[in-house]
Amino acid sequence: MFMLAIFIVLILLSFATFFMGTRAGVFAKSSAALILMLTVVYAFLNFSGTGAGGFTSESTYAFASGIGIYFSIGVDGLTVSLLILSAVISLIALLIANRKEYTASFYGLMLLTETGLFGILLSRDFLFFYIFWEIVLVPMYFIIGRYGGERKDTVSLKFFVYTHIGSVFILLSILTLFSYYYSYSGVFTLQMSTLLNSAFINNSGYLPLFWKDFMLFGFLLGFLVKLPSFPLHSWLPDSYTTAPYPATVMLAGGLSLMGGYGLFGILLPIYSTINITVLWVLIALGIISLLYFAFTAMFQMNMKRMMAYASASAMGFVTISFAAGILDSTLSIRSIELSGGIFQIVAHGIIMALIFSVLYFITENTGKENIYQMGGVHREMPWLSSFLLAGFLASLGLPGLAGFIGEFSIVVGMFQTVGWLIFFVILAMIVTASYHIWTAQRSLYGAYNENLGKIKDASRSEIAILASVTLVIFVLGVYPNLIFGIISAYVGGII
Amino acid sequence: MNIFSSITYTLHAATQASIYYYPLIFLGIVAFVMLALGIRNIDRKVFAGITFAAVLISMIMILLDPYDEVVVGNNALLFNRFTMFFAVILIISVLYIIFPAIRGLKSKPEIFYATLLFVLIGMLVSAFSYNLIIIFVSFEAVSLGTYVLAGYGKQKRHLEASAKYFFTGTIGTAFTVFGLSFFYTATGTFSLTSEVISSSPAMLIALIFLLIGFGFKLAIFPMHQWAIDAYDGTENSVSAFLSTGTKILAFMILIKIFLVGFAGDYHDIFLLFVILSVFSMTYANLAALSQNNLKRLLAYSSVAQAGYLILVIALVGYTGIGNVAYVAIAAGMFYSLVYIFMKGGSFLAMNLVNRESVSVSDVAGLARKSPVTALSFAILLMGLAGIPFTGGFTAKYYLFLSLIEGNLWWLAVIAILNSAISVFYYFRVIMFMFWKEPTSEDHFNLTAYSKAPVIASAVIMVALFFFFYLLPTLNGMAPGLFATMGGI
Repeated sequence: MFMLAIFIVLILLSFATFFMGTRAGVFAKSSAALILMLTVVYAFLNFSGTGAGGFTSESTYAFASGIGIYFSIGVDGLTVSLLILSAVISLIALLIANRKEYTASFYGLMLLTETGLFGILLSRDFLFFYIFWEIVLVPMYFIIGRYGGERKDTVSLKFFVYTHIGSVFILLSILTLFSYYYSYSGVFTLQMSTLLNSAFINNSGYLPLFWKDFMLFGFLLGFLVKLPSFPLHSWLPDSYTTAPYPATVMLAGGLSLMGGYGLFGILLPIYSTINITVLWVLIALGIISLLYFAFTAMFQMNMKRMMAYASASAMGFVTISFAAGILDSTLSIRSIELSGGIFQIVAHGIIMALIFSVLYFITENTGKENIYQMGGVHREMPWLSSFLLAGFLASLGLPGLAGFIGEFSIVVGMFQTVGWLIFFVILAMIVTASYHIWTAQRSLYGAYNENLGKIKDASRSEIAILASVTLVIFVLGVYPNLIFGIISAYVGGII
Repeated sequence: MNIFSSITYTLHAATQASIYYYPLIFLGIVAFVMLALGIRNIDRKVFAGITFAAVLISMIMILLDPYDEVVVGNNALLFNRFTMFFAVILIISVLYIIFPAIRGLKSKPEIFYATLLFVLIGMLVSAFSYNLIIIFVSFEAVSLGTYVLAGYGKQKRHLEASAKYFFTGTIGTAFTVFGLSFFYTATGTFSLTSEVISSSPAMLIALIFLLIGFGFKLAIFPMHQWAIDAYDGTENSVSAFLSTGTKILAFMILIKIFLVGFAGDYHDIFLLFVILSVFSMTYANLAALSQNNLKRLLAYSSVAQAGYLILVIALVGYTGIGNVAYVAIAAGMFYSLVYIFMKGGSFLAMNLVNRESVSVSDVAGLARKSPVTALSFAILLMGLAGIPFTGGFTAKYYLFLSLIEGNLWWLAVIAILNSAISVFYYFRVIMFMFWKEPTSEDHFNLTAYSKAPVIASAVIMVALFFFFYLLPTLNGMAPGLFATMGGI
């Protein structure tokens, strides 16, 4: 009930933002802070200390019960950590938005995106899950299209159509489950908890093999587009580059979160139905994503575009951990592997938020995004350079920072399953480390590029924002149990 | 005794049915009165008001009628919840354009509105009828009326569109008559019942000819070209009516004729309609991608929408009459309802631009001039694309659901990919509306007459999203389609 109240408050606040005029920015920022606070309080009350990861509350309201449509929401260990993540990145994205051109509708659309993310995570009914899944795209489309950079009109269109095509397959899968569950039990229902039932899905007498594969294919396609994974990524670099920086923060954290939630929230409960071949294909896709995006990132001139690829590369770990975790035979290792994957989603979201925020301030102050047009900016802006370096170090997986925990548990866990393929993963990690460091070297250190002239460093409020994000990354790095406990309780409940 | 009882029976049926005739008679009287009033020089708004009131009253009369199944004559007319549902949504499609049409009526408004009422009478009769001759005659009444409506206006392009519509329409009629005669040869009756399931080869010929004849009116793939030109050439409100009212009418007639009259040929129906629907969707969506003329784009999109609609017929042909078929028909009924608002609203949105032919770039900058209107138009386009929180999503959801339930997964994939392609051109319009610089400053016509219908349909569009519980109701109505077949 408490969560439903938070959700309704969020909806109201985001619509109210549109009518706030010049005060919309402050209003949206404080709303996002309020929502984060409430979510954290909720998580603390329900999930602290007990080691609980299952559903603490699930409430259902009949909408059209005759055809199985209910509005039902529930929170478990996975969703609560992702809820906190989406609240955090929305707050960061809103806090850093400071341009004059960002009108009330910008802030309103950002909050609507957050509403959509909350809706996806909270829905325990497939229809509303799908509806929110689709509706997230609409405010994002308008943000990119209106406030974006070069070629914003075509890029926003591409973003929408590409990810929409991925989504519609999810709808087909949902309809498949719905109609076959009716023949299985004689009940119309769209409840996730009922439909995601391995006994029903594995029963080829009720769900023919073809339809089972069809269903899994639809879900995987939809989730991998959002994640994004290797062959389905072409919307990503353009959208990340063109979107205004606050929206990029939302994209990097939020859309990957959607894909990750799809894998770990929808498909993990029915992991026993997934074919081993499919899992190996997923591992292969994950490794290709890691390597391919790492190498592509290495040769980018534009820092924003480079980080877009770096973000996609980091999500390769998530795909691998999902597939390898299911393949693992040892229960404890499987738990570490899967929890590592979920942790990676959270860590990645926050780290990318830090990096894109710093890049935003640097670009605002220097007017440059290209690595070669910078150089030695540490002399003029020590604060921003240090924060960027911190972000880079976290992103490449330095121990002690959040990025390390996820990657470490994934790599440790998958060694048993993938065998010698681990070398490709190690190679990708080396490449990732090297291009991060190389970029830092070229842009932040060395001789100062005098063409830049006089540039100013971050203001005090900006430093405060960045420092607190860095602090979060650091805390998660040294005390991962803050959320790792909830996550592994959730994973433990399933496997 | 025998003759006596049959006479009393007929009389009884007629008195029972007469209550259903009141709306038709009422509309006819109003139409003639308006023609008579036309001698006086009365303002066109008065005529619009009279028409609106009359149509609204007739709708209320139909809604108040009892829902019992009443059959008149040898299945000549059938009054049940299924036929009444279509009667009501056809009335809505007329109701919709009465006020927006005022703008184009420079002279003789009474003739326009009287014709509209006659057209409506024809529509209602064919909605209720289960006899091919009556369907044919009433449908021709509708067609003749719409030829007049299409030509209304003083400009050459209106006449050109009307002429084109007239010629292709007449060809369609010829095919229909031909098909009817073959139907009679095969079955010996014009009644749509399954009492005579004929295996005569003439039946197949009848099927194809009737399909071509009514396919022209529905504007599905190979018979669609006239529609693109006609919708483009006519007055905006008339094209809204042509693409909603007559289209839904043709869809309903196709359902009746093929699913009831050809109950023995379901396999052929399945094959033919799958081919037609896949080609309609794919061709129209691809053609719309490269359209710069907004009205032509909407016209192509309505061809694609007709492709989605006839998926229902294909599906019923595949599964046969049963629970899945009822779900499919219910989905088709819901789609028809939503379609009237989203398509009619988008065509009426063309009134916002003061240009002869509206191109996509003409709506550029609308968001700056009137954000609410732009948002409403965007909602309508999103409805056509099937994005959540619009009725279009709910309609598509049910359509795809019935396809999956009928095991036609590949058709569902084709349809859903098509709907994903269509997102591209709808959002292109939205993009122009919101982010492109306007071509000139003062070509927008932002009067209440042009804004109100768009905003109203957008509100209804959003409201229809929440009408999930309408489907079980429609599901209960759907078996009414097969009422004349007896025993089912």
